[in-house]
Amino acid sequence: MNRNHLKAEDVKIFSDAALGFFAQTTGQHAAVRTAYLLDHSEANVWSEFLGRIDLGGRYRGSVTFAAPRGLLTHLLLSIGESDYTDASHRDIVGEIANQMSGQARRHFGEAMDISPPRVITQAQASAGDTARTPPFVIPMLWDRYEAHLVVRMEQGTPR
Amino acid sequence: MSGRSLMIVDDSMVFRNRIARLASDPRLGRVHLVAMAENGLEAIAQARHHRPDLVTMDLTMPVMDGPACLEELRTVLPAARILVVSALSDRATALRAMAKGAHGFLLKPFSDDQMVQSLQELMA
Repeated sequence: MNRNHLKAEDVKIFSDAALGFFAQTTGQHAAVRTAYLLDHSEANVWSEFLGRIDLGGRYRGSVTFAAPRGLLTHLLLSIGESDYTDASHRDIVGEIANQMSGQARRHFGEAMDISPPRVITQAQASAGDTARTPPFVIPMLWDRYEAHLVVRMEQGTPR
Repeated sequence: MSGRSLMIVDDSMVFRNRIARLASDPRLGRVHLVAMAENGLEAIAQARHHRPDLVTMDLTMPVMDGPACLEELRTVLPAARILVVSALSDRATALRAMAKGAHGFLLKPFSDDQMVQSLQELMA
């Protein structure tokens, strides 16, 4: 099995999930910018709030939605939330990760094990990753803010 | 108190608050929020105490997840109308939820209008 073979349609599942979250929840669409492979200058993509799901089964890796505080504050505002504490920001970024988890379960079925969504720190962002290929980064623009979807995914040996 | 009583079960505080705001939409008439819970066990305890007419419930929660909670709620509140609200978007999940006693299924993420419409259908 070719470990490095990451299909565009597989990655699109996750970006569509994030895009769908913004469109459905706020009525305001997000836009995807040109995707790229991440080199070692990772600090630019790990924003203040990060929601992650870990992948297993016939795949391995993780998918992380990284968003700056301003984007999430605006998102909370747009759905009528008046609590702008860190807890609310962590909550909403976790919900975006939850959305990606739901879409991935539907698309990949039993071929992919997906962990419950978790909110991680910047320090945790690149630690403990089992995928060997460089992550794929999909920048997303919503309102005037930029978020990043970081997909580390490769096909592996079934457990 | 007239109208329908509502309990919201979701591990996301932001989503609990959002559903609570939408439940006060004038299109729904008199719906009063009586309880919110962030996991299945808390939901069962609140259900016994408040006896809500309507329940919205996430499926993926810590402590006691939605499917287990749904079964228990059917016993505790046999007359309550239950709307499952979940990001688990496959058809099989919806069918399993309905088989366990849910009366409706709304996919996350949802728009304001979709939630209000789902609550209207739940109350019909």
